[in-house]
Amino acid sequence: MADYDDFARAQLPRLLRYATMLTGEREQAADLVQDVLVKVYRHWSRISGADHPDRYVLRMVTNGYLSWRHSWSARVIASGDVPDEARADDFATDHAARDDMWQRLARLPKRQRAVMVLRYYEQLPDPEIAELLGCAQSTVRAHAHKALAALRNGLAIEQMAEARETG
Amino acid sequence: MNIENLIKDTFVAREHDAPDSDAVLAAARRRIDSRRSGLSRPFAVAAGATVLTLGAVTAVVLNRAGPAEHAQIAAPANGSQSSQAPTTTAPAAAGLKMPYSLGWLPPGSVAYRVHRVNVGFSADKPDVPLYGGEYMLTVTANNQVLEVDVQQMRMVSADRATFKSGPGQSVTINGQPGVESSVSTGPGGYELYVAHPDGGSMYVNVNAAPGSTAPAQQLVEAGRRIAENVQFPGTTTVTPRYGLRELPNGLRICAFDVEQGPSDPKMMTSYRLGTCTVQPTIFVNSGVGANVPTGAPGQPVQGHETRYVDENGYHQLWVLDAVDGVPIIIAGRVPQAELYDIANRLVLSQ
Repeated sequence: MADYDDFARAQLPRLLRYATMLTGEREQAADLVQDVLVKVYRHWSRISGADHPDRYVLRMVTNGYLSWRHSWSARVIASGDVPDEARADDFATDHAARDDMWQRLARLPKRQRAVMVLRYYEQLPDPEIAELLGCAQSTVRAHAHKALAALRNGLAIEQMAEARETG
Repeated sequence: MNIENLIKDTFVAREHDAPDSDAVLAAARRRIDSRRSGLSRPFAVAAGATVLTLGAVTAVVLNRAGPAEHAQIAAPANGSQSSQAPTTTAPAAAGLKMPYSLGWLPPGSVAYRVHRVNVGFSADKPDVPLYGGEYMLTVTANNQVLEVDVQQMRMVSADRATFKSGPGQSVTINGQPGVESSVSTGPGGYELYVAHPDGGSMYVNVNAAPGSTAPAQQLVEAGRRIAENVQFPGTTTVTPRYGLRELPNGLRICAFDVEQGPSDPKMMTSYRLGTCTVQPTIFVNSGVGANVPTGAPGQPVQGHETRYVDENGYHQLWVLDAVDGVPIIIAGRVPQAELYDIANRLVLSQ
């Protein structure tokens, strides 16, 4: 199974980063990817013969994330309370803005978060996201629309932009 | 900066949070090895539920090293610190002793899905095993079904708690700091991590089963009370499907798993054997169904046919039709003779 080891070593950094963006948490990402690696091993003869094994495994990670329900491995990151209404002072730095956005992302439903990660982190076009999630492109757009609306809600940079426009 | 750029920047800024590749690959490797023996995933969820009879059986005291898991934590109900001195090899066909007991559960009909002692490890010391007990059960009352998971998480401290549902709030349980989170709907229900004085935490999760509903406050009260009444050391014993007697060469039962199989009303049982100071190396597991491997026929064990498989030094001995028509698999990177030795110590009649 040298092929498997080579493949796993080559793909792992990307898969782990991707899983971290999906789950929002290091341990959970490690768990998720571990699960996938074990499955890949068991079905390596089939997966290695696929046209794009890397894309196949990316889908496995995505599906694993979407279907994971069980106890300790299915928790969403929560690093403190999220303010309902942010104040402009809180976001004087980009760092604070990103922290706030990270927590907002953590509160999204899983499919919406997956679309955000695939679109803005993996930078995949909507048709590829739809194929990866096994849904219609219109569904991807709907998830993205809802996610962006939720992320915008009460967001300081939007408020600050509005303030500048009306000021 | 528009919101889309902010999202991109947010993701990129978190790349450094990704886990270490080598550690994940090594952990996956260990799981692959354990699966070769037919073991189920340590934290697998058992489908369905059944009432597990905790009969009047003799408790087997596990011979694990390290007294940490036996220290009293959140609940000083009646226990005191216990070093739980190792016994000699015990007749494992008797009841297996849990490291802690649940002193209180919500009123109703209790159905246990899982009793187990997990094997975990910390990221910085992946070769050092950490053992922790876990209960998974349901409580049914007045058409309401609650799912309860209580887990000793030696590798996760309460201040690193993460939740399914959302942000956590500080709470104190029996003088120990903890973090809790609850939602009235959706995944998560009530979750609580309470610090363990010896490191790690206890995790309590109470939620309404799919198709059932429960007020958030009921889940909160139940979860807290369960945590308040966790009792170390444990007095609970669980009856395995089969046992082990008089283990050889300093081997000990380091961990076990007694859980309902996905299609089998009887409890599946698995053991992990070793010195317990390093990761267990021998796996003993009741198989699923009557599948027979394509290995070579081996010597009969206790009147049962066997099959022997060697996968590049990873040896499996299948004892066919061992319990209720299913095989028992003994596996590990150990000599063939050692597998036969253990097979002859199986206690198959219950």
